[in-house]
Amino acid sequence: MFLAAVNPLNSSELIFPTLEVIHIVGFAVLVGTIAIVDFRLLNLGMRRQAVAEVASDLAPWTLVGLAMVLLSGPLMFSSDPDMYYLNRSFQVKMVLLLLAIIFQYTIHRKATKSEGPPLRHKLVACISMALWVGVVFGGIFIAFI
Amino acid sequence: MSLLSFAQWVQSTDFFTAIRSSWNIYPIIMATHLAGIALFGGMILAVDLRLLGIAMPKRPVADVVGQLRGLKHLGLTIVVTCGVLMLGSKAEEYYYNAFFRAKMAILALIVIHALVFRPSVYSRVAEFDQAARIPGRAKLAAALSLVLWISMVIAGRGIGYIEPPLDKIHAQGGAPSAASDVVAGALAAQVAPDFKR
Repeated sequence: MFLAAVNPLNSSELIFPTLEVIHIVGFAVLVGTIAIVDFRLLNLGMRRQAVAEVASDLAPWTLVGLAMVLLSGPLMFSSDPDMYYLNRSFQVKMVLLLLAIIFQYTIHRKATKSEGPPLRHKLVACISMALWVGVVFGGIFIAFI
Repeated sequence: MSLLSFAQWVQSTDFFTAIRSSWNIYPIIMATHLAGIALFGGMILAVDLRLLGIAMPKRPVADVVGQLRGLKHLGLTIVVTCGVLMLGSKAEEYYYNAFFRAKMAILALIVIHALVFRPSVYSRVAEFDQAARIPGRAKLAAALSLVLWISMVIAGRGIGYIEPPLDKIHAQGGAPSAASDVVAGALAAQVAPDFKR
């Protein structure tokens, strides 16, 4: 409560929506670039390039997107920490986000570097997209529960 | 039939009434709309950044544009379908919403963008690879696309900040004759107290 009371974020009506737009564009970059790699793993897109090429081309952009959401997200959280902290959808979102980031930089990264069996690639791609879609759903439902 | 009475009729149908009445169907549609933006919006950015020579510079432009086109269309279909479902279920609110009107205007500009630049840019990307340089008009198309799509996000997010005072509008006698007066009044009163939504 103390934080919310003095937080300069709450002094202007435009700051929060600006952060939201940065957050949305950020997750479009973050999830969108991961999804391109996932569709490549599924053999549904970018088939003329090798998996490793697509992944290494887009890795810096995934980090750009991650930076955008990880800067805007905590700032939005700080505008009303009690509400977010107690919000069940937010809690689910944070768990899924943690899992998605860990998955991205361990199993997903490993899959893009190895030839591996196609079935494994496809499974990794589906888990990756499911986790990120789950994060988006968790974010939207914060406002509805 | 005016656009307003059409909007009122659309949202009064059983189908859209059911969407509006359920506590979770509308947010599920909205989340799917956003998930579509997450999965496929990044592809639009990737194509634009490739045309600008910023992202994936080692890959042929034709490969990036050509191989993402189908997926972008799939994404657009998902996002537009969800958008139409949201619009139909609260058509009257959207009718009065200034950000929604802005969003539709931007969408119209995006259609014009596609009509203008498809023949001169997007259908000719193989030539850019052969010439080993990206012409100015392609970079212009990419920059405009970035501006338009980010404007779509801004206007889309803005919709949630406005809550047209439908009660007041209805109290003044349903579908008003001077619609512009009501819209002006609605705009003046449009300050959503809960700006998290």
